[in-house]
Amino acid sequence: MSLPQFKLLRPRSASEAVEFLAKYSARQAERSEPAQTSRGSDSRGRLSPHVPSLLQSPHPHPPYVPLRVIAGGTDLIPSMRQKLFEPEYILDLRGISAMRGIRPQPDGGVEIGALTTLRDIERSDFIRQHYPVLSEAAATVASPVLRNMGTIGGNICLDTRCLWYNQSLTWRKGCGFCIKKDGDLCHVAPGGSKCWAAFSGDTPPALLCLNAEIEIVGPAGVRRIALHEFYTGLGDSYRRLQPNELVTCVFLPESSANYRGVYRKLRVRGSIDYPLAGVAVVMKRSNGHIVDARVGITAVNPAPMLVMGVSEMLTGKALDEGLAEAVSDLAARTAKPLTTSALTPEYRREMIRVFTKRAVLAANN
Amino acid sequence: MNKELIELRVNGRTHEIAVEPSALLLDMLRQGLGLTGSKRGCDDSSCGACTVLVDGVAMMSCTLLAASCEGQEITTIEGVREHGSLAAIQKAYGDWGGAQCGYCTPGFIMTVKSLLAENPDPSEADVRRALSSNLCRCTGYNQMYEAIRSAIEAERKGLAVAK
Amino acid sequence: MSNDFSIIGKPTAMVDAAEKTTGAGKYTDDLGLPGMLIGKILHAPYPHARIRQIDTSRAERLEGVVAVAVGGDAPNPYGILPVGHDEHALALDKVRYVGDNVACVVAASEAIAEKALELIDVDYEVLPAYFDPEESMKAETDLIHENKPHNLEKDYHHCFGDPDAGFAEADQVLEARFISNEVTHAAMEPHSTLASFELDPHTGKLGRLTVWSSTQVPYYLQHKLSLVLEMPMQQIRVIKPLVGGGFGGKSEVIPLEIIAAIAARKAKAPVKITYTREEVFWAHRGRPRTIIDLKTGVKKDGRITAVKARVVQDGGAYCSYGVVTILYSGALLGALYDIPNIQYDGYRVLTNKPACGAMRGHGTVNVRFAFESQLDELAAKIGMDPAEIRQRNLLQPPCITVNGLRVQSYGLPECIEKTVERSGWKQRKGKLGKGRGLGIACSHYVSGAANSIIRSDMPHSTVNIKIDRDGGVVVYTGASEIGQGSDTMTAQIAAETLGCSLSRVRVIAADTDLTPIDIGSYSSRVTFMAGNATLRAAVEVKKQIAAAAAKKMGCEVEELVFRDDEVKRARVGAGDSPAQGQPAQNPRGPNSRGPLFPQGSSSPPLVPSSSQHAEQASVSGRVEGQILRGSLQQKRKDEGLKDWMTFEEAVVAAIDFHGTLTGTGSYAPPQEARGGKHKGAGVGPSPAYSYSAQVAEVSVDEETGEVTVHKVWAAHDCGRALNPVSVEGQIIGSVWMGMGQALTEEMVWKDGMLMNPGLLEYRSPSSIESPAVEPIIVESIDPEGPFGAKECSEGSLAATIPAIANAIYDAVGVRLHESPFTPERVLAALRAKKSAKSLNLTEGVDPTAPERFREHGGVLLFKGKGPERHALDPARRASPAAVEGAD
Repeated sequence: MSLPQFKLLRPRSASEAVEFLAKYSARQAERSEPAQTSRGSDSRGRLSPHVPSLLQSPHPHPPYVPLRVIAGGTDLIPSMRQKLFEPEYILDLRGISAMRGIRPQPDGGVEIGALTTLRDIERSDFIRQHYPVLSEAAATVASPVLRNMGTIGGNICLDTRCLWYNQSLTWRKGCGFCIKKDGDLCHVAPGGSKCWAAFSGDTPPALLCLNAEIEIVGPAGVRRIALHEFYTGLGDSYRRLQPNELVTCVFLPESSANYRGVYRKLRVRGSIDYPLAGVAVVMKRSNGHIVDARVGITAVNPAPMLVMGVSEMLTGKALDEGLAEAVSDLAARTAKPLTTSALTPEYRREMIRVFTKRAVLAANN
Repeated sequence: MNKELIELRVNGRTHEIAVEPSALLLDMLRQGLGLTGSKRGCDDSSCGACTVLVDGVAMMSCTLLAASCEGQEITTIEGVREHGSLAAIQKAYGDWGGAQCGYCTPGFIMTVKSLLAENPDPSEADVRRALSSNLCRCTGYNQMYEAIRSAIEAERKGLAVAK
Repeated sequence: MSNDFSIIGKPTAMVDAAEKTTGAGKYTDDLGLPGMLIGKILHAPYPHARIRQIDTSRAERLEGVVAVAVGGDAPNPYGILPVGHDEHALALDKVRYVGDNVACVVAASEAIAEKALELIDVDYEVLPAYFDPEESMKAETDLIHENKPHNLEKDYHHCFGDPDAGFAEADQVLEARFISNEVTHAAMEPHSTLASFELDPHTGKLGRLTVWSSTQVPYYLQHKLSLVLEMPMQQIRVIKPLVGGGFGGKSEVIPLEIIAAIAARKAKAPVKITYTREEVFWAHRGRPRTIIDLKTGVKKDGRITAVKARVVQDGGAYCSYGVVTILYSGALLGALYDIPNIQYDGYRVLTNKPACGAMRGHGTVNVRFAFESQLDELAAKIGMDPAEIRQRNLLQPPCITVNGLRVQSYGLPECIEKTVERSGWKQRKGKLGKGRGLGIACSHYVSGAANSIIRSDMPHSTVNIKIDRDGGVVVYTGASEIGQGSDTMTAQIAAETLGCSLSRVRVIAADTDLTPIDIGSYSSRVTFMAGNATLRAAVEVKKQIAAAAAKKMGCEVEELVFRDDEVKRARVGAGDSPAQGQPAQNPRGPNSRGPLFPQGSSSPPLVPSSSQHAEQASVSGRVEGQILRGSLQQKRKDEGLKDWMTFEEAVVAAIDFHGTLTGTGSYAPPQEARGGKHKGAGVGPSPAYSYSAQVAEVSVDEETGEVTVHKVWAAHDCGRALNPVSVEGQIIGSVWMGMGQALTEEMVWKDGMLMNPGLLEYRSPSSIESPAVEPIIVESIDPEGPFGAKECSEGSLAATIPAIANAIYDAVGVRLHESPFTPERVLAALRAKKSAKSLNLTEGVDPTAPERFREHGGVLLFKGKGPERHALDPARRASPAAVEGAD
């Protein structure tokens, strides 16, 4: 499977990258189907008469973006082979060394460049010591070689996944396409008009637990938002990032440093697999009592989620099995898995329960 | 055509080549430079048969754009031989049954090279973890562990003799 | 037969190991020819549809497109079995599964070809499709193949002995349904074929065809190409480069192999087609989803009295090897244990999915899972140790089983004994603590089919050997090296027989112009059959050398011993004989090819020697052989009369004497091994069977249902281990692949769509969850095998699945009836057993009742009705014209 044709932009600095973004991503296509040579009036053209009604539907397609950003490539390249993206431009960030690195801040906390590889995070003594949940989560992503390539920024921006979406063009043609790409029906929630593709990154639930913030750079300047504001909860337009914006940095605050942390991941194989369910737990204790705790889950919703009410339930208490079970019930209620991946949704939700209980108990020990 | 002229350093040599921006490093190595040792086994970056070293770090050449690797040092399986002879790991893979059909073998050897460069004395758990980036369908991995252990010993003996 | 071998029985690096470890070896996709074009295949998006019209004109107009081939370009049907010629390289009038082959674009590059595929307009009339075999068997209309009523490819009904009487005398009878879901080979190398025509100098038109292909069966490919292209076989040359694994997936003619040739003919240029991984899944030919209704009776003493099996196989849209698969499933109920009464009803059913075919352990694996699981349950019922119940049912060879299978060598008793001993079965079983357990199971497999799929009297293997004055031995064999070590086995047998070093032997394999016919690498036939042919060819050559050497030495032929590159008189005093002081055994590991310089030889290597150099000697053996030859020839001149000669001197003498030095050997299985007379008796008989017994140690997480296999002890009777390192590799690989089927691998279907057509979602185990496997070689020395050898590559797979199932039962007390044993299936079974809080894991269905799991291939992943189709989805619309009219 070859990649679609595109032009490659290779900025040397973040500011140059932003210039490219401003220049090349502005060309908004008028309709969701791009007028592109590689498409022409191919057999998918049959769908085009339907496009106007799509635009009127409550959940229109994400607007066509003529530019895609590539960092490690481990998410984008396989998707481009499947013709899930056929951009005119690829903005290649690999050459921007300034966006790489783990930089503890003088006033506490740490700044992690978006291009820092998952391997560098996994091996960082600083992260392991102060933000162990991130260390654990990073170490479970895909496989060692893929972690050599994949970046923290890429893991945060990871496209949502679904067995009906992450397939070749020929395959998707066979199933009549889906809401997330080229079609208007959902195969996992028939009759629905919402996309349920699951967010399947391992590090974001850990980052959510750590109250991480991200820096976004665009033509209008720099903005910094809490990570939980980044995700929309929709399977298709899953993140709040304008086409001309770039995630450049992740900040972990001093206030969440030195929490105990545990990440547990449901996968069929011990390597390579995306999570089928994932639970991150951070906890701070004093004199045997919990001072603060948070639980984040992934791969069971269109966004990574913080489980609400955990801190309230645990703060001031000494953890016991019953309390851990109560927390795991909260987590399981937050999980809304559908048949977007292997293993049944019912099983995956049950594993959110089991893994949360185990992770909470492990974080306590 | 929209080809771009780039300099690619592969196995210690610089090649000036014209590449499509969309050309993958794997295809450039195999078709452009005739280095067919790196293999394609999947289309979803999961099998590791195409693994090469980029500035000494193991990466999947099927997931890298060739043009993006300009200025970096690429090492492929063809660059592993030592002074025209089999490197210890290559010899050991043959002797201990680490390779059967051989299709995944170049990828595994590159993964092992990068493992041993970072950790010359890995535990069995370290080896298992490292090899989990690559899929093999013949061996069940067991004989690879023996091969790696034997290659480490051979290297050590070799070093001892050299001293 | 002497056990004192110089080559065989020693751990030996494969003859092509360096090619593989350096990346220098060429697989088909690594090849290129000047002017070569790339072919890409258009696949059907519907599981069952009639093709009204194909319009390729827009694709043909695209810059860079050279030709577009369609079904009409080569309409002859073909199939691997003579009874199953139901495939067309490209569809003629109908497509029968999502992924069926419709057209092929030939273009200057992959990207252009892919673009052109989008420009081919195909007008389909979508037909009702069948996905479940038991539903498909009820079909009256819209049949998948018009000549197969009820979509039944083939059914067989066998009865041996008196099963009713057998069940009547049993003390315990169990009956249950087992399901094994569909798995595929997933060899690391995607299929690839390069086809090129030569111009005929006399006619000026396209003449001979050469095809390089990733195939296990070059001869069958040549045969089918001839059939479809309507060319004489002698005009077609098939060459098999290195093959990156087969496991059965390349053991028949795969559509791209024919399509590449059709495309090359149409484009008048060399064409290469390499499958994407998704296309490999569509080409498939894997192990079918199998529904087994099994009934077994035993007496209190553990003796099996009768077995009754009803087997339904979901065969996919074409026959492929299906008729053979369904027969193996019944026939190989026999020849493992002594079963006096067997009833077998087998149904091979067509469905609108990719064709299933032969996969490692062809036909036996799923039924073996059911049988060994049920035997375990029966042992528990009568209070007998599971190892012991197996020992109570051994055959007494030599014998012929109730279904006509001849068994001679039978290492099963020793396999059970050894695996029980090594695993600490007696001391540890039941004492491993909560959630951890041991399970045992046995299996067996044929060493090649006694009857070839094309009925004829031709030998199954033929081998030629040529030796020239340089002393180099060239073996020409049609046997296909696919990673299993066939070339190495050939070289070893030739070298051992001729008494020469391995480095003298070059194997030329699997090139239909150069090598004599061999029917291919499948059903584990190569060592037994091609090995025997090699042995016979080598013996013939050796006779000629011996005659000349004996003359030179003035002795009888019978006095000569060929060994270590020397021919000598056996009666030579011990002290003078270079070979006598040979080291007992080489330690395992490097430099294990056998001594190049036998101890006691008076000619030291001329190369400066250090411990390091000695280790490298085996690598550069050819060069040093030259040096050695020079020195020895010098030595011979210096000395007087001959009581020994170098191999080369003997060869030169033989060529001087006979004029040429060549030998030929062939092998056809003996008549006695070819089985009974009943309908379908041709499948199952083999000249010899391998045997395996395994113990698996697993732990089960009772909260998650996750199963971890810690270790498998696998004893395998391979007759004689010609190359122990290879035999162990094959045993480990089989066990490992069985573990994949037991735990993680499953082809998941929804409405004819394969949900996991890639290595990311089809989960072939990684090194993390792969267990340690302890291979235990058992050598029963078969009377007909080459040096006593039998197969070692398939027989171990089948035992692993039930060994794991039985270990799960031992660990947590649940009996799994459906593979793979995914965590959700295990957890659901655990919850059902405990009748704990009802967990709606599988819509409330008790997974221990697998008959409830039949929807779309019995998969747990997808529930409920299929998706609603897109309004414009051609599957829903009346006709394309109607849709366009609605705009």
